[in-house]
Amino acid sequence: MTDEVFIYALSTCPWCRRTKQWFTDSGIAFDSVDVDSLPVAEQDEAAEKAYKLSGGRRFPVVVINGEVIVGHNPDKFLEHLKGWGG
Amino acid sequence: MSGPQWVPTIDDSKVRDGAYVPVYPKGVGVLLVRTDGELSAIANKCAHMACPLEGGLLHGGIITCPCHDWRFDVRSGALLDAPELSIDTFATKVEDGKILVELKGA
Amino acid sequence: MGSAERKESLRYLFARVVDPLGYKLTPDEELADFLLEQEVKLEQDHGAPFCPCQGRTRKRAEDMLIVCPCIPFHREHFDAMKRCWCGLFVHKDVSDPDSLPQFPPDEG
Repeated sequence: MTDEVFIYALSTCPWCRRTKQWFTDSGIAFDSVDVDSLPVAEQDEAAEKAYKLSGGRRFPVVVINGEVIVGHNPDKFLEHLKGWGG
Repeated sequence: MSGPQWVPTIDDSKVRDGAYVPVYPKGVGVLLVRTDGELSAIANKCAHMACPLEGGLLHGGIITCPCHDWRFDVRSGALLDAPELSIDTFATKVEDGKILVELKGA
Repeated sequence: MGSAERKESLRYLFARVVDPLGYKLTPDEELADFLLEQEVKLEQDHGAPFCPCQGRTRKRAEDMLIVCPCIPFHREHFDAMKRCWCGLFVHKDVSDPDSLPQFPPDEG
């Protein structure tokens, strides 16, 4: 089964990098955005989306098949990945 | 080395209620603060990044650092959000209408 | 002041702040260096050393709560994780910071 994964990240946050690396290493395709690297005019909108989804301002915000996980937390990622029996 | 000493600063009448005045006894940055009639003396230096507290809002005995809004009780010097962190406080007394601040020995 | 000097002064200033709160700089030196570098850049670009792993809203009252070290304003949450959100600071008894999970406050 194909999992849909989207990662909201900050370029300044090492945990966001580790999260992306974890998905890459696990062979799971994902889309992502570094909110702070967007053109200034688009940053607020992307940030608001992440804040609304996560209920806070912490990054990374990982959306797996519609479920939101806040923080670099591989155990939680696995729980929500269908392809991994979660 | 010298022990604690009382250093004269400004006239007591210069510190209005609900206001503060920066003074520099022997070069030490001190804020003289009067709140509800009571005089306090605190270091004019935030416990966070050492910003001068002068310029910060004083309200109800709480001073808010103008740099990053850290809030301190002017009587105890304690940071409201984590009392383990505090700014220095100094004893004061008034003699012949002048405020004296006690500096600890150096 | 150059970036390298500013990084060292933040390291010094912040270590003094977090010590009475029961925290220390992470023993992961590479991580600490990277995070402090980001904070220097954030301070240069946005006026304060904001948390590199939390987003700003441009509302002063909210953004001031994520200026490093932001432990006083997120104490319960960080104490539960034994680290701050970005991991620059950990509880004093932590020697293996990689073992600490990162979870939001409602999952503590």
